[in-house]
Amino acid sequence: MLQIKDLTFRVNNTDPGASGQKTIIDQFNYTFEQGKFYGITGPNGSGKTTLAKLIMGINPLTSGNLIFDGKEMADMSITDRAKLGIAYSFQNPARFKGITFRQLLSIAAETEEEDVLQKIVARVGICSFDFLEKPVDSKLSGGEIKKIELATTIARNPKLAIYDEPDTGIDLWTIGPMIELLKKEQKAHHTTTIVVSHNKNFLEAADVILILKKGKFVYEGNLDGAMPMLTDLSTCTLPDLCEGENDVRCFR
Amino acid sequence: MLDALDKELLKTVADLEDIPKGAYNIRKNGKLLGRKISANINIETNDQGTGIIISVAPETKNESVHIPVILSEAGLHDVVFNSFIIGENADVTIIAGCGIHCGGEQKEGHEGIHEFIVHANAKMTYIEKHYAFGKGKGKRTLNPTTKVFLKQNAHAEMILEQIGGVDAAERINEATLDDGASLLIKENVLTEKTQTAQSTSKIILNGLDCSANLVARSVIKGDSKQDFIASIEANNKCYGHIECDAIILDNGTSDTIPSLKARHPDAELTHEASIGKIADDQLMKLMSLGLTYDEAVNRIIQGFLKNL
Repeated sequence: MLQIKDLTFRVNNTDPGASGQKTIIDQFNYTFEQGKFYGITGPNGSGKTTLAKLIMGINPLTSGNLIFDGKEMADMSITDRAKLGIAYSFQNPARFKGITFRQLLSIAAETEEEDVLQKIVARVGICSFDFLEKPVDSKLSGGEIKKIELATTIARNPKLAIYDEPDTGIDLWTIGPMIELLKKEQKAHHTTTIVVSHNKNFLEAADVILILKKGKFVYEGNLDGAMPMLTDLSTCTLPDLCEGENDVRCFR
Repeated sequence: MLDALDKELLKTVADLEDIPKGAYNIRKNGKLLGRKISANINIETNDQGTGIIISVAPETKNESVHIPVILSEAGLHDVVFNSFIIGENADVTIIAGCGIHCGGEQKEGHEGIHEFIVHANAKMTYIEKHYAFGKGKGKRTLNPTTKVFLKQNAHAEMILEQIGGVDAAERINEATLDDGASLLIKENVLTEKTQTAQSTSKIILNGLDCSANLVARSVIKGDSKQDFIASIEANNKCYGHIECDAIILDNGTSDTIPSLKARHPDAELTHEASIGKIADDQLMKLMSLGLTYDEAVNRIIQGFLKNL
């Protein structure tokens, strides 16, 4: 359903003393299949969020093709990609002055009908309908804003839902129900789901684990097969500089 | 009688579809167009004939009074001095506002100087909207002044809006608070093209445990300019807060100068201010929900100026 061909993303190199451009994603190729749940993980700085943002159009790609349901969307705006059926849940959701959850949800669901909004709120597991009147501003807790982000993503009824670090700001007890919800949406609506996460609970829920390193997938498969690599990555994020565990600079 | 233009202005500045049901005083082109008093709200012309005195009887509950001004006469600069006396324990809403229709080359303007005395334990909500429109190129000026005196435990909430079309505005807000009094001012101003707006607020907290909160929102489009100068002076154990946020679009400019003056060791004064373009993360979020860039900008500004 989403075919990525030779995707490249470069940015100006702003490292001290550096010039020219830096390649973040290089000649990336992959095909995401309809209805599957993908868990993308990898070390910090490997390009996970960048890749997710390239799919949504938040980052403008340098070259390559993104073919979604047979349509080339490399030159499409975020709006057009949203209208095609892609939804994006931000790691650090935006906060607004003067916009309530109800208003944001109405934009996402493209309706102001009370029944529809309440059904979405119930689907996400928000018990109090009063919550709809809350301004989506800086007074919300990290958990509250994440619930709103989740609700607005689900309200789109997307064909492809991308969740960037959905557990950020969420307490441990909310992660389980959140995973159940994403799985339920996947099954009920055949939603292709991409979760960018370091959290093992999300990875356990995924049908396919993809490990990204230096802008390329270095592993595709189930969690069991990924575990040796993930264990290594979880203890050391500087493998290229590693001089062995006996190195006095080793942080292990 | 109200013509179509009058009706449009009244609807915009005072949410009136027609002549209101309660007490009202409608002024058109410097003259009285209509007045009605109620059992608890009296309106009379002042001794100098330069404005009106509105007296709300003590214990009056849940009543409102409309006092809109409309201007459509070329070359007219209307100045009016209005006094409001809100009796003890009253709870009243005052809907003011000025609408200008400019059809010609000559300038038109209005200066409303409003002085409020809100007596002990009374509650007043004051809503004032300013708006100008018309194809004429004459300069439209609105210079409102509000002076509020809040007696013991009185409360005032003031919503002051300039919603478009005004070429130049100089607003002055002054307030003095006694023991236990509280004041909330929400000021929302939108300017565009080469319009200018200046707001100067001076709040004096004299009373024990009194509090004031001034929340200002500015949207500055085109080549327009807005200046916001606000000071809170605390002379007792009290609380004061100034929050001023401005969104700049295009080439707008803004000077924002909040000032806090603590003249008592137990005074608690805070301010927060921000000026900048619309945050990218807000635009991205709304676009990811299917809005176009322009729709997202409008939605953000609409909410911002609502000042919840």
